[in-house]
Amino acid sequence: MKRALPLLLLLAATAQAATSAPAPYRQFDPMEDYLPHVKGDMSLSGSYKHWKDPANLDWRMAGNPEENWKLNWKFMDPPFNASVHGGHFAADRGEEIFHELNRKAGRTGKFATCLGARKGNLKGLRSQYPMYRKDLRHVAGLEEVIEHCAAKEGRELQNGSYDNSAVSVYVASQSTGMPIKINVTSAGPLKSAYERGRKVFHARAGRINLACSSCHTYQIGLHLRGTVVTTPYGDVAHYPVYRTRYQLQSLHLRFIECNLATRTQPLKPGSQAYTDIEVFLTGLTNGYPVSVPSERD
Amino acid sequence: MRISRSFFCFFAFISTAWLATPAFSGDFPSDFAVDPAVVNMTLEPKVVVNSGKLEWVPFSRDLTPWVSLSYEDKRPAARPRQVKLVEPLQGDPVRGRELAIARDKGYCIVCHQLPGEQWAGTVGALLLNFKKHNYPNELVFQQIFDSRVFNPISVMPPYGTFGILNEQEIRDLVAYLQSLD
Ligand code: HEC
Ligand code: HEC
Repeated sequence: MKRALPLLLLLAATAQAATSAPAPYRQFDPMEDYLPHVKGDMSLSGSYKHWKDPANLDWRMAGNPEENWKLNWKFMDPPFNASVHGGHFAADRGEEIFHELNRKAGRTGKFATCLGARKGNLKGLRSQYPMYRKDLRHVAGLEEVIEHCAAKEGRELQNGSYDNSAVSVYVASQSTGMPIKINVTSAGPLKSAYERGRKVFHARAGRINLACSSCHTYQIGLHLRGTVVTTPYGDVAHYPVYRTRYQLQSLHLRFIECNLATRTQPLKPGSQAYTDIEVFLTGLTNGYPVSVPSERD
Repeated sequence: MRISRSFFCFFAFISTAWLATPAFSGDFPSDFAVDPAVVNMTLEPKVVVNSGKLEWVPFSRDLTPWVSLSYEDKRPAARPRQVKLVEPLQGDPVRGRELAIARDKGYCIVCHQLPGEQWAGTVGALLLNFKKHNYPNELVFQQIFDSRVFNPISVMPPYGTFGILNEQEIRDLVAYLQSLD
């Protein structure tokens, strides 16, 4: 009897976990249906027509504060300016680190293979992230995988750190011009992550009770003090991005910035909620070309 | 008129418990960027050039009391709350204006236009000449305390329910708005 007691308690506990623990109350913005393709913006903000073709932007709009948001900052993507900005330094640094790790004695090519490169070729790899990783047993973004694979080569590249993002910029730069392409419509872990991400994107949180969508879906083009919010479509293609204030900002660090600005407790880069939002936003960028190295103010 | 009067009734009361979310009894969610050893537990990342480490520095305020996006965060968020304003208003319009502009108090100008302020937001309604609406005080009080009672998906922060402003501060803001000719 004495030995059975812990087992009984355990059974009772699991039974309770299964039946009780209703989801805590959360407020959600109305769940917009999004098309997991960049052209879906035509039924959200309609600004897509102005930045659809990166080679043919109307530069006059960039200088007009009322029109600027309609370009979705794409005028800061390549080839906006052949001169050197911080994003190019990052790409150089990332290239160095990449080759260092990929040429470890006795392990040549292992780093690239771990990242998912076929026969060491990085071309097109960025377009396929986030992806389901068998070794991690979950969907992961490129930066999480860089940290994971670098650790195998004995180097610490924390998710969100400069060097991690630099490698990410370098890897992405090998896909510049190639459209983002992740499948979030066939049943599987990516689709589930996309659906969860869409939900978190609409979840109100923090001290002033805002969701990502409160601004990025419902206030596009409106002024919040000095800034104007742009569409969530097409954003992921230019990350990690060079910004003077942050040196180099990964997508998850941008989420942290928006969380802090709206007084919401931030999560660590690579957390499941952030990765799900990343999958969601990557779905909304499907079809748009990888645009790295890029710069934002 | 944007505030809908039809929704308004006087069932509720103002309780003295202001804070919205229950605190954590045990550990924080594992994905929180926090350091429980510092006063403002919330951390902010700092990118250090040419380093494989991400540095974390204390953020200017503690954000752990409010619900986050973490899946491990099981605290319920505060539901919309209807309140009754006991008159007389006794608000201080000068103090109200200060609160409307203060970054960590009302900061209404992020979304609303108020007299004498540049770079006003365009998300909320114009609040210039507010007096002309002739709204009853209790309506304006409720809008600031928790606007979700009128509009369930309002983006305006529920200042009272979430404990951002206390009752007197909301009275001061009502007095300020009602003074705008
Ligand atoms: C109070 C409004 C507000 C909220 C809430 C908010 N953001 Fe932002 N966000 C902004 C503004 C303003 C900008 C800068 C202008 C722009 O690029 O749209 C921005 C920029 C961004 C960018 C960069 C876009 C680019 O092209 O580089 C991303 C990505 C982003 N936000 C994601 C999020 C996510 C995810 C959330 C929720 C966790 C969120 N935001 C919550 C206001 C907000
Ligand atoms: C994040 C945006 C935001 C902030 C900050 C904000 N509001 Fe609002 N406010 C709104 C929106 C949007 C509306 C439109 C009605 C609604 O959705 O609740 C509104 C409506 C109002 C109204 C009703 C106006 C009318 O004519 O119907 C009043 C009064 C008001 N706000 C006062 C304030 C005050 C005072 C503050 C600061 C303490 C404030 N607001 C801060 C967004 C905001």
